[in-house]
Amino acid sequence: MTNTTTLLAWRNIWRHPRRTLLTIAAMVFADVLLIFMLGLQLGQYRMMIDNSLAIFTGQMQVQADGYNDEPYMYRTIPAADALAEDIRARTQLEAVATRGYGFALVSSETRTLGAQISGVDPQFEPRVSTLPGLIKQGRYLDGKADNEIVIGSTLARNLRIEPGDELTILGSGRDGSMAATVTPVVGIYESGNRDMDRMMLSMPLDTFRDVFSMGDTAHSIVIGGERERADRIATGAQAALADKDSLVLLDWETLMPGLKQAIQADFTSAWFMYAVLIILVAFGMLNTMLMSVLERTHEFGILLALGVGHGKLGRMIVTESAVLATTGMLIGILIGAVVVGYYLVNGFTYPGMEAMGERFNIPSVLRPEVSLRSLLPGPLAVFLATMLASLYPILHMRKLRPTEALQAV
Amino acid sequence: MNNPAVICHKVDKTFQQGELAVHALSGVDLEIASGGFVCLSGPSGSGKTTLLNMIGGLDRPSGGEITVADLRIDRMRMSELAELRLHHIGFVFQAYNLIPVLNARENVEFVMQLQGVAAAKRHALAMDILEEVGLKGMEERRPGELSGGQQQRVAVARAIVSKPALILADEPTANLDSATAEKLMQQMRDLNTHIGTTFVISTHDKLVMSYAKRLIKLHDGKIVDDIAQQ
Amino acid sequence: MKTPTFMLITIAWRNLWRNHRRSLIMLTAIAIGLWGMIWMTALMRGMVDQMIDSAINTLSGHVQIHAEGFLDDPSIERTLPPVRDNPALQSLLDSARVTHWSERIRVPAVIRSERDVLGVTLVGIDPQQESGLSFIADSVTEGEYLAGVDDRHVLVGRKLLERLETKSGRRIVLMSQDPDNNIAERGFRIGGVFDTDLQVTETSYVFAGIETVRAMLKMGDGVSEISLLGPDYRNLDALAADVRAAAGKADTKTWLELDPYMATMLGVMDGVILIWFSIIFVALSFGLVNTLLMAVFERTREIGLLQALGMPPANILIMVLVESLIMLLIGLLAGNLLSWLTILPIQDGIDISGVAAGLEWAGMSSTLLPAVKSSDVLLANAIVLVLGIAASLFPAWRASRKVPVEAITRIWQ
Ligand SMILES: Nc1ncnc2c1ncn2[C@@H]1O[C@H](COP(=O)(O)OP(=O)(O)OP(=O)(O)O)[C@@H](O)[C@H]1O
Ligand SMILES: [Mg+2]
Repeated sequence: MTNTTTLLAWRNIWRHPRRTLLTIAAMVFADVLLIFMLGLQLGQYRMMIDNSLAIFTGQMQVQADGYNDEPYMYRTIPAADALAEDIRARTQLEAVATRGYGFALVSSETRTLGAQISGVDPQFEPRVSTLPGLIKQGRYLDGKADNEIVIGSTLARNLRIEPGDELTILGSGRDGSMAATVTPVVGIYESGNRDMDRMMLSMPLDTFRDVFSMGDTAHSIVIGGERERADRIATGAQAALADKDSLVLLDWETLMPGLKQAIQADFTSAWFMYAVLIILVAFGMLNTMLMSVLERTHEFGILLALGVGHGKLGRMIVTESAVLATTGMLIGILIGAVVVGYYLVNGFTYPGMEAMGERFNIPSVLRPEVSLRSLLPGPLAVFLATMLASLYPILHMRKLRPTEALQAV
Repeated sequence: MNNPAVICHKVDKTFQQGELAVHALSGVDLEIASGGFVCLSGPSGSGKTTLLNMIGGLDRPSGGEITVADLRIDRMRMSELAELRLHHIGFVFQAYNLIPVLNARENVEFVMQLQGVAAAKRHALAMDILEEVGLKGMEERRPGELSGGQQQRVAVARAIVSKPALILADEPTANLDSATAEKLMQQMRDLNTHIGTTFVISTHDKLVMSYAKRLIKLHDGKIVDDIAQQ
Repeated sequence: MKTPTFMLITIAWRNLWRNHRRSLIMLTAIAIGLWGMIWMTALMRGMVDQMIDSAINTLSGHVQIHAEGFLDDPSIERTLPPVRDNPALQSLLDSARVTHWSERIRVPAVIRSERDVLGVTLVGIDPQQESGLSFIADSVTEGEYLAGVDDRHVLVGRKLLERLETKSGRRIVLMSQDPDNNIAERGFRIGGVFDTDLQVTETSYVFAGIETVRAMLKMGDGVSEISLLGPDYRNLDALAADVRAAAGKADTKTWLELDPYMATMLGVMDGVILIWFSIIFVALSFGLVNTLLMAVFERTREIGLLQALGMPPANILIMVLVESLIMLLIGLLAGNLLSWLTILPIQDGIDISGVAAGLEWAGMSSTLLPAVKSSDVLLANAIVLVLGIAASLFPAWRASRKVPVEAITRIWQ
């Protein structure tokens, strides 16, 4: 493609300034919309993932093989603390915490309910979970006392207890033996997650091990850290598991399949909308290019008569489409970047957002993601679709004979 | 006869071509009597078409006054001009005379339809006039299926069918062979003689000029000669 | 002067097909745009309907009556007197305004098999009354539904059965608290297993006969909850108000009040649909305006001719609008047809089980039934038609106003 071709193409597309502007405007409209919506979506997903993982799950976990699918008490990690220490050393990450989980009947003076008990390491737990920071009454486990417990707000209400009251815990241990203890409640947390607030209580891991006959084992080693570094952390953790066949490292997608699929479902339905939008813009481009080719039939006839080949004419039309589509894409990306940039600074919210936010662990003000991942796919899809659309006029032109072309006015 | 069909008083028309001002008409004074048969001649670019435009109310003069059918048309609104053209003026253009999506008969009927003439009546009138201009059997053809001369005859048929008081024709014979041109001019003269329709025709064609009762010569936007004939 | 309407339509119609490719492209774009509008709303409505259905179906009903404070603290102490002690309520519930109703006892409980212990909600039901009201009667896929209020079996969800590593016909132990705060414990045989779209339903609930549960908990004839269905899930306010009055000192709520998330979703939905329609329309209108502008532009000469012949400017405006109207109408016709043809084969639902866990998270099941609401379809058509005509005003106005001056001077050449 020579400069002259581009120049010619540029001149040609400005023969009808209004038409060209409308065509570009349609592309820019679609680009900006796609950038905005995609940025918002990605921003929202990131928050959903980050917030969901941060509360309790962590970026990844080491578990005994099979525990994730069927969490039986006896599927444990042997010598869990040593392994956790090994992982900390290998990944250079402090955010590695050991946990044990169990189910028990929990009784206050007046009530008895079933609850999920997690034994946590008070020293490291705050580094992998935001739950310790969500205490609304009393305090979190401080590691000084062995025998204390924090509890979800709904569960506390249903048990009619406050910090300072004692709970009787009755369950069965790892070996099937009776597990029982009486523990004072020191704090009540409110995570905003319904199940966690309704079902869960936490006690120091050491106490948990005593009560549930766990020895030095645990059910999971939770690894936190930033998601951007997840690959490197995983490599380190995997190395620590090298000689331990019965243990597996699970990423968040495996730990929270619902979250992953919810995002996928949302993404799929969003792309349906985007596709319709892109197709409509492509049709606009198709129309414009077809018009521009048809109205030049006579002109093409002269060129053909002069001995310019069909191939060259085709290239000229492709160049015109490319110039048009590229212009649209560049302006679209520019304006799109400004729009998402604005909302990145000022935040974006819509009515009903709060209820959604509560359900999906996201704040009620969204900040769109501004990255190549959010800026480029939409405009590129529009570009490709419009280029594809301009093939039809070329095919049409290819069938043109000089004589009939010259007869056209 | 009664009042003149057209009065032009000091008519100017200036086109702005970028920096340059083109004086297409300057100080044209002209009176055309009702029932006149006037030819405008002159070299290319002398202002013939521009003058016809002004008289037909298709464009406004830059200065001066134009009166057609006792109405000052230089001050009229677009919709009033449309009304005037519909009822008083017939046009024959040099080319692109016909509405491409309508066939010959429909083109002829078009103006009558706008005037509100009943369907049966205008159908009959259109068929008669097309026969008169020698287009019998071609009534249902679209302009694209007619030759240049045939198209021109449809245009003339359309202009004369509703018997307007004034017909403006811009080089009507430019695409016609001399025999056809002669026949066309004969028809126009007949109309002029029998009904008293006023004709203003611009032309380079000697044949057309020979039919004129009055020959006006233009040069550089000015009337340079005004000859009464016969 | 009379407007020769028929002539205008004739010219507009023929003009439309002069450049048939361009018109066909535009028609297709309109049809696809409308198709996109209808489909997307059908899917969104379908999703929300499904969420509502499953919410109502999973025990909430249209209106629920609880003892005061029960919703905050669902304990066995907070009970209502049975319906038969309240003649006003009884006659309202038995009237034609209520299609189904039932009493239930609902307590948090612990279920224990030989292999595992889990927390569940034990629901005591009247099997006859319950059928038609909630999912349970139609969801038993193995074993038998409960035979009566004192049936000694329990119904357990499929997933719970797997978690407990037990089988239909085996024994389990249920443990809960009686009104005197003593642990009530009793062994049951699993009489049936139920399957539902949502796994969480399968793991959360265990059903037993209401009298059996009363006996186990050594309680009187109180009930924890009365659930009822009216004829329609919308417009429940009048029914709820009457139930509230009849129920007296109790907590009466509609399903919308019980599930504020769903209520907001319903509200947001209409807004989202309108925004979606507008977006599609804007994308369409670029093409529409462009097509008409082109059509007007390339006919400049002709429009000049029409004007020269005395066609009033208003008629030229109308002529272009009629052309646009014809295009819109055909496009809409095709779009509606396309929507109908593509939605027809999936009337029974689209299988989206690939993302089942995610949908479950959002409270939906894994077959999606598109819900075509005639009001949505009408709105989509109306928006395209009305705004389409509005968008055509500009090209039409250009044709009637601005073009002639240049057009007419061009004719003569
Ligand atoms: N729209 C316009 N813009 C600028 N100049 C114009 C325009 N129309 C006419 N002119 C100029 O006005 C002058 C008179 O033009 P006009 O068309 O009236 O000539 P004419 O006598 O009809 O010539 P011909 O015999 O070639 O048709 C010419 O110099 C022409 O260039
Ligand atoms: Mg001329």
